[in-house]
Amino acid sequence: MKLNLDQLRELIQLLDEANLTEIEVKQNDDRIRLRRDPAPAQAPSAVAADPAQPAAASAEQAGGIFVTSPFVGTFYRASSPDDDSFVEVGDRIAPGQVLCIVEAMKLMNEIEAEIEGEIAEILVENGKPVEYGDRLFRIEIA
Amino acid sequence: MFKKVLIANRGEIALRVIRSCHERGVRTVAVHSEIDTEALHTRLADEAICIGPDDPRRSYLNIPAIIAAAEITGADAVHPGYGFLSENPEFAETCAQCGLKFIGPTPEQMRHWGDKVKSRALAKSLGLPILQGTEVATNLEDAVDKAKALGFPVVLKASGGGGGRGMHVIQAEDQLRSVFQAARSEARAAFGNDELYFETLIERPRHVEFQILGDDHGNIHVLGERDCSIQRRHQKIIEEAPSIALSDELRSDMTSTIRRAMKETGYVSAGTLEFLMDEQGNLTFLEMNPRIQVEHPVTELVMGIDLVAEQIRIAEGLPIELPAPNLAPRGHAIECRINAEDPDTFAPSPGKITEFHMAGGTGVRVDSGVYGGWRVPPNYDPLVAKLIVHGPTRAHATAKMRRSLAETIIGGIRTNIPLHRRILAHPAFEEGRISTCFLDEFSP
Repeated sequence: MKLNLDQLRELIQLLDEANLTEIEVKQNDDRIRLRRDPAPAQAPSAVAADPAQPAAASAEQAGGIFVTSPFVGTFYRASSPDDDSFVEVGDRIAPGQVLCIVEAMKLMNEIEAEIEGEIAEILVENGKPVEYGDRLFRIEIA
Repeated sequence: MFKKVLIANRGEIALRVIRSCHERGVRTVAVHSEIDTEALHTRLADEAICIGPDDPRRSYLNIPAIIAAAEITGADAVHPGYGFLSENPEFAETCAQCGLKFIGPTPEQMRHWGDKVKSRALAKSLGLPILQGTEVATNLEDAVDKAKALGFPVVLKASGGGGGRGMHVIQAEDQLRSVFQAARSEARAAFGNDELYFETLIERPRHVEFQILGDDHGNIHVLGERDCSIQRRHQKIIEEAPSIALSDELRSDMTSTIRRAMKETGYVSAGTLEFLMDEQGNLTFLEMNPRIQVEHPVTELVMGIDLVAEQIRIAEGLPIELPAPNLAPRGHAIECRINAEDPDTFAPSPGKITEFHMAGGTGVRVDSGVYGGWRVPPNYDPLVAKLIVHGPTRAHATAKMRRSLAETIIGGIRTNIPLHRRILAHPAFEEGRISTCFLDEFSP
């Protein structure tokens, strides 16, 4: 993809006007991504917590959004030891996508993404116990 | 022996259980809501697991979360304390299904004693003295007929109630007509059961209750009584052991009646049979609480036993271990419940405790789940400490309690300590002229 300086300038302007932290443009096999550090006040407002739901996603000052455990239980990255992990670092995720399982009382509770973004970090090891509110994933919002 | 016990509770009772476990060499797991992260029980237990948000329905009453916490920590038993899930037979059943020993009676026993109408019938069949009462009233006209037959004044009670909740004193027919439907809706909302029945009103009763312990080996011990007559709106605030209203003869009669009754039902673990005593000294059955009670320390002090340790031993399948075969109360013990509330308006007073100094010295025991610098959350029970004293006589215990209340300083929040000081200083208390109407009659 060939971008001239004017087009790049336009993209930067768009990033600023729309108050975005990141823009990615894809054309055929080429892609360009522009990023800037989010303004501190904007990141938390990216996800409005649903008060009726357990805090499955909580915001941080910088560096993305944390998906927290809505239950106390055991954290699993795949539906069985033989299956592939639901997600890996770097994967793009969409709302409703299963990220992991938290097992409580022999029930496998699938934890779904509430936002779109990219898995930046997986914070718990497979098979480890988690408490209510423990951070499971760090998501970077695109 | 248990290796690890999870305590499904908070506050002073969670600490009480942690202490008996640690003395037995048993490891402990505390569970807590988000607001209780810094609570004392989470700090003194060997492990602490956050099980949910502040709302108790999603944390301390959340059965799957508590079971999952036991599973991930490898606990082999659960102690429910009092309140929360302690009288919930489904919780006891779920624990059993998940391979966890529930430290308490069986689910069947909880069901038998949980419903007031059923427990009255059971008490009657076991030969315990029960108050004159009626069957469940089917509708308003039936209620009027039943109340008239019993004779006003009567107490309208909810079958699902207990602990002073869901009752109304009814003086006459027109009052009954005006409150019946409301009482029914109230009972349905509060207990999920709208059955109402009547009992004769006892004027100025004393509240006298008997502590029992039973084990898997068929042993039943009746460990004396407590007098919990000083109440505010049916909530106990001062308890003592023994009761000065009981003659040795009545105590011995009641002990054998209760022992026989409890043997017949095969009761296991700690429990309390509550009675009302009329002004002529007759006792009638009120309810049975199949759990440890708030005021258990007064019995522990006069009997020289550890009731929570016995609950644990019993759950492990061991026989009850008492210091002597025929225990008798030694001296007199008094407990004051110190609540975070305004001493005059009784409005709750949560907030940060800036200063916390409890009394000490010989014969003084403090059971508390708070500390200086901690914030009392608004979400739960207002009990911040139990101040318990033990002396050779009631007069000595009263003097010791006055001295202890004078030494106690709790800053930052309001507490009912001033009310306790006024009650302990009142001549009627000193003379033992107490009933559940004490606060209304003497307004100390």
